[in-house]
Amino acid sequence: MRQKSEGRHNFIDIKVLARLSGLWLEARIPMLGSVSGRHRSSLRGSSLEFAEYRKYVPGDDTRRMDWRAWGRSDRYYIKEFEADTNLRLYLVVDTSGSLNFSVDGVAKIDYTRSMAGTLAYLASRQGDAVGLYGADKGFHTEIQPKRGSAHLRLVLDTLADLKAEGETGLAESLHQAAESTHQRALIVVISDLYIEPELLRGCFQHLRFRKHDVVVFHLIDQTEIDFDFDRPTRFMDLEGGVPIMADPNLIARQYQQSMSDYLSDLADVMLEAAVDYHRVNLLDPVDQVLARFLIGRQRGKR
Amino acid sequence: MSFLSPLVLAALPLVALPIIIHLIHQRRHNTVEWAAMMFLVSAERMNKGMARLRYLLIMLMRMLAVAAIIFVCSRPMASGWLSRSGMGKPDATLILLDRSASMGAQDIQTGQSKRSTGLSKLAELLKKRGYGNQLVLIDSASNQAQTVESLSDLLDLPMVAGTATSADVPQMLEAALVYLKANKSGRVDIWICSDLQQNDWDANSGRWPVIREQFGQLKGVHLFLLSYADSPAGNLSVRVDNVKLQPIGSQTELVLDLTLKSDKSGAEAGSNINRIPVELTVNNVKSVVEMELDQQGASLQGHRIPIDGKLRSGWGQASLPGDANPQDNQFYFTFSPPLVRKAIIVTDQPKIGTAFRRGLAISSELGLQNMAEIISTDGVAGIDWGETGLLVWQAPLPGGLVAEQIASFVKAGGVVMFFPPTQREADGKSDFFGYNWGNWQQLKGESAKVSWWRSDADLLSHANSGESLPVNDLRTYQYRAINRDMSAWSSSVLARLSDDQSLLLRVPTDRGSLYFSATLPTAQFSSLERDGVVFYIMLQRALTDGCQALAFAAQIDASVDALPNPADWKSIAPVGTGVGISQRGLQAGVYQNGDYWTAINRSLSEDISPSTPVASVDALFDGLSYQRIDDAVGDNASLANEIWRIFLVLMVLALITEAILCLPETKPEHQTDGLAMVDRGTRQEFS
Repeated sequence: MRQKSEGRHNFIDIKVLARLSGLWLEARIPMLGSVSGRHRSSLRGSSLEFAEYRKYVPGDDTRRMDWRAWGRSDRYYIKEFEADTNLRLYLVVDTSGSLNFSVDGVAKIDYTRSMAGTLAYLASRQGDAVGLYGADKGFHTEIQPKRGSAHLRLVLDTLADLKAEGETGLAESLHQAAESTHQRALIVVISDLYIEPELLRGCFQHLRFRKHDVVVFHLIDQTEIDFDFDRPTRFMDLEGGVPIMADPNLIARQYQQSMSDYLSDLADVMLEAAVDYHRVNLLDPVDQVLARFLIGRQRGKR
Repeated sequence: MSFLSPLVLAALPLVALPIIIHLIHQRRHNTVEWAAMMFLVSAERMNKGMARLRYLLIMLMRMLAVAAIIFVCSRPMASGWLSRSGMGKPDATLILLDRSASMGAQDIQTGQSKRSTGLSKLAELLKKRGYGNQLVLIDSASNQAQTVESLSDLLDLPMVAGTATSADVPQMLEAALVYLKANKSGRVDIWICSDLQQNDWDANSGRWPVIREQFGQLKGVHLFLLSYADSPAGNLSVRVDNVKLQPIGSQTELVLDLTLKSDKSGAEAGSNINRIPVELTVNNVKSVVEMELDQQGASLQGHRIPIDGKLRSGWGQASLPGDANPQDNQFYFTFSPPLVRKAIIVTDQPKIGTAFRRGLAISSELGLQNMAEIISTDGVAGIDWGETGLLVWQAPLPGGLVAEQIASFVKAGGVVMFFPPTQREADGKSDFFGYNWGNWQQLKGESAKVSWWRSDADLLSHANSGESLPVNDLRTYQYRAINRDMSAWSSSVLARLSDDQSLLLRVPTDRGSLYFSATLPTAQFSSLERDGVVFYIMLQRALTDGCQALAFAAQIDASVDALPNPADWKSIAPVGTGVGISQRGLQAGVYQNGDYWTAINRSLSEDISPSTPVASVDALFDGLSYQRIDDAVGDNASLANEIWRIFLVLMVLALITEAILCLPETKPEHQTDGLAMVDRGTRQEFS
């Protein structure tokens, strides 16, 4: 793996993996996995984690009866423990042309690859299944979650082959992901989210309705927010639209106002859909962003 | 607004510089690959209204700043009236200066008179603005156009000094017209500096329509009236009349009438001064008489001043304490023993001659002696013209040497009255000054009456008491028409018969007087002798006028021809003024020529004439390029100031406004708030 990452998978930095090796990827909600893992399950099981007492009913295994409780209350109780299971991690990666936007040589698509690859590696390391959706028009890239290093290699190879081009198909992809994922899963969306917030509202509510734990990494750079230009500029649309010739002195205020409204609406959408939302600046190191995300998850679990 | 450096205005197209820079800036654009196009599209859609207006304002401020710099460099001058005459300087400038006595009214604080204020402001203005190739002065005293070599000379010229004369503004404008037509100047500015006094402007004169029409035909002539119409408050003027020497026994007294005129505004202002000391100086002996002042002024009739009995002639002066106009605080007078007032009646008909002698031999004034001598036409050569005041000529009109003698007599100030001869001239019609006699005409009944006569001036004017003469009662039974050659000067009719024929007329002359009467006084021709009042007063007035020129002491109004030969006259008073020869007769004072004394003073109209309403003055220039500038005496403000500072301030304001408009707006703070809210909300839900 290490050798591979130095070659084709060079978007994964070993130093980043080393820094994150002490952190685990946790879900905020109980998962329904296929095998035993390190995540809470919605079902009862045989882990060491006490879940609850319940009244004894004929047919229950008497070995699980709590005799101390019988001694204190003269009633029969069955002591239940939580089950540990694995989770399914779906990585929904935006591959629209706008992901080619770069700052200081760092393109959003590269940043996306790095984040998605690192998360895939972390999940695979702890025995979780990893799947991948490429959110382009037509939903061409779809890898169902599986466990194992071979599958991880497939995911990473697919990530390496991803190209950012054309218009975004994020909304359709999210709806597709919500429909095609039958069991609870951790869905991580990495995108610049240049879609109307009202469209996204439906997508995230759909995912939430399917009881998925949704995480959004919003890739937006400070230059895109500030719109700090001092001379007339021809803005080329990365998604192939018509270029716009504009004088920033004239429209900066309106742009910033529009951006502010968008971010505010997006915040409302995220709140309503209970999405774990993270805004990511392209100049932020990947390890810091992910460490913040993973630590926040563990703190939320406690 | 006008400009001292108008050529700089050629740089005004540089105002477009900000736009050009903007367009160049637009062409030097960057190309950026951009992801957040949805916001750009939205911003472009929103970039209408206020944002575009703000940008346009920024551009406007930049252009304004550039324009202000150009205007500063072009040295603008503030004056709304100057802008009407165009931006460049004129080809020639004419100054019409009112030098009348009333223009001497001054500001007590600064000591500047209306005339000096106006002149210095004009000089300052012309220095800043330029006066073109020629600067011409037409002063009210001489009414002659005089070229001024340089502007620095203007204030020092004797032709701009104050005088005691009255102005004739229409005549000054006529002189300007003559100059303009003779010199054919291009664009000309005419500056009239006056206090709008009614007697100076004579707004009802028939000359104004002609002047207006002639100026209307000239192109490029702009008239500016620098008006000082404000009357000085509380101004008093003094006047002395009827100065007579009266021997009383071995003593001699000088009898005179003193009149003070008060400006109404002073009385209205409630001035406490109601007793005015008037200082009288005669033969260097001073006396003071206090006069009670009412709203109109004060009058003292027959004031007597004892003088040395040996003093036969001399001069005196009445002075008032200083006030707003020093020009009317002095009045000079002269006195001499009364002469025997001699009239010569030339007639070949003793009966008619007797009628004239009856009207002339008895003096109308106490203490004066009249003498009337009848001579035939053959005795004309023996007339002593030097002692004669009035010549009554009832004979065929003279010709040859006699006519020349009579013309010289009139020129010396004598009065000649021509009456028609009873017989037709044997040698055909002769004329005098272009006038001759027609045939005898008969009149009967109502037609014998006088239909009109001039009652405001001259021989048939009202009596001193204000009552009109009984001219209505006169009857004319026979008369000879007074014919005028086309070449003769037009006369002024003093009385007219019912058939519109002139009964009495006056021929204009430089000095002296020349009258023609169409009828004779005897009963066969008219009722002049029978109703003797009009006849007597008419003759007495003519005799008085004629004898004034003979008197050793004369008191006349200041004018350019007040002294016949100024070089012969020596200035006696005021002492030490050193009046130049050319200005003698214009300045108030006493002049002596041998035994003759002349006191020169301002005319009565200078004391009493109010200002012409500005609306009436404006109407006089109706249809012409004309601008009135109201100024006040003692006002130090220039007629035109350089106002580059205003444009400099304007430029600074434009730049500050541009800077404020260009300030980057504060970025919306609630973007991060929204994100923080998301994190907080998600944590709350899952904690």
